[in-house]
Order: sequence, then C-alpha cells, then structure tokens
Amino acid sequence: MKLRMSFASAAAIAAALFCGTAAAAPQHKLGAGLTMYFQMGGSPGDASTLPRELGAKAAAKALGVRLISQYSDWQPEKMIEQFRQAIAAGPQCAEIMGHPGNAAFAPLVSKAEAQGMVVTAGNVPLPKLEAKYRTNGFGYVGTYLVQGGETTAAAMVKAGHLKPGDEALEYGVFAEGIRGESDEGLVMGLKKAGLKVYKLNISNAVNADPALSVPILVAFIERHPKLKAIGTQQGLVTSFIPKALQEAGKKPGQIVVGGIDLAPTTIAGVKSGYIAATLNQQLYMQGFLPVVQCVLTKRFDLEGMNVNTAAGTDDKALLDKIEPLIKKGYY
Amino acid sequence: MSGSDVSTGRPAAPKSSPRWHAHLGAVPIIVVFFALIGIYIGFAPEVFLRWPIYNSFLVTIPPMLVLSLGLTLVIAAGEIDLSFPAVIALSGFLFAFCADKLHMPWLGLVAAIGGGALVGVINGWLVAALGIPSIIITIGTSFFWSGVATVLSGGLSYALNDLTGTVIARVFSGTLLGVPVEALWAVAVAALIWAILNRHRFGEHLLFIGDSREVARVVGINTVRERIKLFTLMGALAGFASFLMTVANLSYFSTQGQGLLLSALAAVFIGGSSVFGGSATVVGSFFGAMIIGMLDAGIVATGVSGFWVEVIVGLVFVAAVVLHTGLGDPARVKALQRRLMQRE
Repeated sequence: MKLRMSFASAAAIAAALFCGTAAAAPQHKLGAGLTMYFQMGGSPGDASTLPRELGAKAAAKALGVRLISQYSDWQPEKMIEQFRQAIAAGPQCAEIMGHPGNAAFAPLVSKAEAQGMVVTAGNVPLPKLEAKYRTNGFGYVGTYLVQGGETTAAAMVKAGHLKPGDEALEYGVFAEGIRGESDEGLVMGLKKAGLKVYKLNISNAVNADPALSVPILVAFIERHPKLKAIGTQQGLVTSFIPKALQEAGKKPGQIVVGGIDLAPTTIAGVKSGYIAATLNQQLYMQGFLPVVQCVLTKRFDLEGMNVNTAAGTDDKALLDKIEPLIKKGYY
Repeated sequence: MSGSDVSTGRPAAPKSSPRWHAHLGAVPIIVVFFALIGIYIGFAPEVFLRWPIYNSFLVTIPPMLVLSLGLTLVIAAGEIDLSFPAVIALSGFLFAFCADKLHMPWLGLVAAIGGGALVGVINGWLVAALGIPSIIITIGTSFFWSGVATVLSGGLSYALNDLTGTVIARVFSGTLLGVPVEALWAVAVAALIWAILNRHRFGEHLLFIGDSREVARVVGINTVRERIKLFTLMGALAGFASFLMTVANLSYFSTQGQGLLLSALAAVFIGGSSVFGGSATVVGSFFGAMIIGMLDAGIVATGVSGFWVEVIVGLVFVAAVVLHTGLGDPARVKALQRRLMQRE
C-alpha cells in the first residue's frame, strides 16, 4: 500500500512537471502555433534542394513553426497543384516558387490572401504578386536571376581573360519561363563583353539526370573548336561539365566554365581548375528566411522582405573555407 | 553473335507467305543505326569523324545498355519492370557509402549488385507468388526504394574522386587499348544475356512464359520460380549498371537514374522485342540502346535546336516499332491495306 502510494505520488509529480514544462516551452517560441507549407523545389535530397530544406527546418525548429515540406521535381504544374493543396489545408503561411509565373499563381494567391494566409516567394521571384501583396508579407528570398547570371558571366570573363569575338555556350533551362532568366542574364553578360554566344536548351531528361549532359556537351565542343567558355545556371549540370571537358580532351582552363551552386563534384571541378567560378545562391538562406518572414508578419504585421541571397561567385579560395559545411549540405 | 530472333510456339505460316522476314531479326535496327551514323557524319563531319564523341558514347551509354539487356529478358517473359531507376539510386548509394565512408569499394560493388538483387527478389515474389501484375508492383516498389535511397543517403551527394587511379576504377572505368572498359563490360553482359536467351533453358522458359504462361505451366515449367529468378537477375543487372555509372562519374546523386526510365524501355522496343512477350532480340536491344543514347548528342551536333530532340526521339521510336510490326507480321499490313482500299 505504501509502495503503491509512493509510486502514484511520484507519477503524479512527474506528470505535473512534464505537463508544466511542455506547456511552458512553446510559449517561449515566437512562431508557436503557426503552420507553414514550404515548396522545396526538386526531390528530397537533391543537391539544389537539401540546403534549402535544412535552412527551413532549422528556422522552423528555432521559431517553433510546424513546417510541411513539399517537393515538385522542379515541375511548375506540380508547384501549382501543391499550392492548391496547401490552401485547402489552411495553414497560416506558405512559401511558393516562381517557376509557374505570376499569371498562373495570381488566382490562388488571391484566394490564399483572402483566407488570411501569409504567402511569400523563394528561389524564383514573382514580382507582380510581390508588389501587390507586399504589405501582407509577400516577400522574396533568392537570387536576382538576371543579375545572378550577369555576375557569373563577369566572373567568367575575368577568370578566362575572355575577349570580344570569343565564342561561348550557355547551356540552360531556357524553356522554363522565369527560371530561364538567370541563363538569359548570363547570355547578356557575355554578350556585353563582346562574346558570340550560342544557346542550348537543357532537355527534361538531362534536367532529371544530368549525367546525360556529358555526350551532348562533348558533341557541342567538337562541333565548335573555337569555343572558349561554357556557362550554365543549372546546379547539377555544372558538376558534370568538367567530365565533358575531359572527354573532349580539354585541359583545365582551356574552356572557362561558370556555373551555379556547390554540389560536391562542383567543388572538385573548381579545385581541379575546370570550373572558374560558381554562383553561390546560399540556398540555406533561401530556406531559413521565408520561415522568419512568416513569423514576423504573423506576429508583428511586418511587410515582405526582398533579399538577394546570391552574394557572388565562389572560387577555390572561398571554397576551402566553407567546404566542411558544403559536405553537410548547408550550401 | 547472330541477330536471329527467338520465338516459340507460333503456328507455322501458310506456305504461300514469304518467310524471308522471319530471318531478318535485328537487321532493320542495325541498318537504322548505321544510317543514323551516316546522317550524323554527313551533317557534322567535324564531330563524327573524330574519336572523342564515340569515346563519350562508350562511357555514358553502357549503363543504359545493361538496363536494356535486362529489360529484354523481362519483356520476353511478358512482364515489365519499372523499378530499375530506384535500384540505380539505391545501389549507387550502397557503393558510394562503402567507397567513401568505409573505404571498401569492392565491398561496395558487391553491395550494389546484392542490393539490386534484393529488390528484384522482392519484386519477383510479389509478382509471381502473389500474382499481382508486374506494372503495378514495380511502380510501387520504385517509389519505395527511391524513398529508401533518399532516407539512407540523407539527400547528400558523394564526390568519389579518391577512387581515381585505384584498381576498381581502372578495371571498371579505365581504358583498354584506347577503348573505355565500360563498353567492354557492356558487351560482355550482352554476350551473357544473348547466351541465356538463345542457348540456355532459362531463356527458353522465359520465352515460353511470355508466349503463354498457362501453356508453360502445363508443360511443366515452374513459372513462379522462373519469374522470381528473372526479376532477381534484372535487379542485379540494374545494380551493376548503377555501379558502372557511379564509378564512371566518380559521383553519386540520390536522384541518379531518373532520366533513364523511358530511354531504356524505348531501346528494347525499337530494337524489335515484342511488347506482348514471347519473342526478343538481344542484338536489337543492343543497337536500340546505342541509337537512343546517341540521339540527343547527334541532334545537337547537327545544329538542330535542342527543342526538337524529343520530337525526333518520338518519331524514331514510332517508325522503328511500325517497321518491326510490318516486317514481323506482314499479314497484318496486307489486311490493313485491303481495309484502306475498300474504304476508298
């Protein structure tokens, strides 16, 4: 009897302590009680998605937000479908990507805003919607696409001492609307430097499996023996360009390469000298800040923030410093 | 290696029908292959009269080729396997993990093939023992094993540059007399699959099963056991293809293999294997894979806009399948001609 009562008392005290602690903890977090649907972009774990995912989860954990991740394999129609699902679920916030464009998202964003949802954009901008709903917290965290492409082009021209009349290839996702603006930016940057630029579209098959880009690039290089530069704004394709150059018999530096993101093999390409510069989108920030946006608007009615996460291009020296973080997926 | 088709159990054609077409086998697709090379050389001689582009093909096409060869057996038996992209991802992770974290690449090779075989055994059991259609099961297992690969890898990519110069890299990704060894391994697998299909009882059983599963069962073939073996072999081949791809690229991505689903299947069908099962041609799949693997780069080299690639792939696919149907079943073509003339 005594033992039973002791056990019961101890259990009651423990339960009280647990409940008290559990009740107290969420109240200290600014985002407690908020749910946010977040479009990550590709598939779980691909090199251009993982850092964003890690950033969003870190922010959600720090702020006490319940995060629902959505993956679209970079398919615009799937992004629209997933936003429809998000609206139906009725969360407080949602982050969307601009690949489908302003017109495609406009009716859904209008519906979400009418429900009192905070909607914000990441990775690819939605400038018209941002201008319309900024006061409701619609912001943008990502690269300024055209500017990012131009930055990459400038780095390529400088690293490769490229001259007017030199030939270059931009291998990009030209068929993806707003997303293709970064490739157009790179083309503009090279043309401003006086280069002759060829444009080649990345097919759906290559987008899904970038190893398939290798023979295509070899064929192009062989067809254009005066080629001096190759640019791309597709992260995984960037990592396969060195292999294509090797198979075409090119040594590091013979053809200047500018790319984007920091896949482990891209780092190897920069270290070997095949890749001159890669635009660092700081994808972790693209995941972290939209969650912060959600909380700041919901709690304090703050307006949408517009943040350019592309600080610039990374070369060998900078990569040495951040490589340990890259290997863990933080870039 | 002969290019003859192997088919069983079909009633003999009427004596008045010409049977010359039955001996053509993979000849039409071989003609198409060389015709394409001729077109590429004509439009882009600076590319296709030099070695680098062929070297690139011989490095990048073998994984898809190995997959197509495995699928040839699967389709010959009247089945389908859509889970191989997931095996590419899973087996690639197993190899990358063993090579990068454990520094045991040879164990990784065994793990890659073993992992693929395990997926195959499960597919085979679900299809053969439970009787669920293979298209349904393999779609489901594709999602499952893709997810497992992502969970195990944590979404991280692996750079495997430390394998450069090692024995395993030289054996499976080096060159022999200037020829990429990946291509030699693919030819060896092709020879093995040809021998299985044309000279081994297992291959004969598969063709019987593809022709009529019920008849095969009645004549004493253990259709359950043979199909489990079939899917296990396909899984192991997919694991080997994944290993070849990973060691050639010296990198692993959790999404690798996703772009190969339609290409590998297209290679089998344009090669001349029957979608209904019961007949198959390994040589046809071999050249079918070469054609599919070269199309994208060939179109780019000729200067045609990349936007046209998928249009041309589709045209080649349909034309090849129509050609095979016409040559394989001329009675059907004559019946269609009669019907069209009657309408006029």
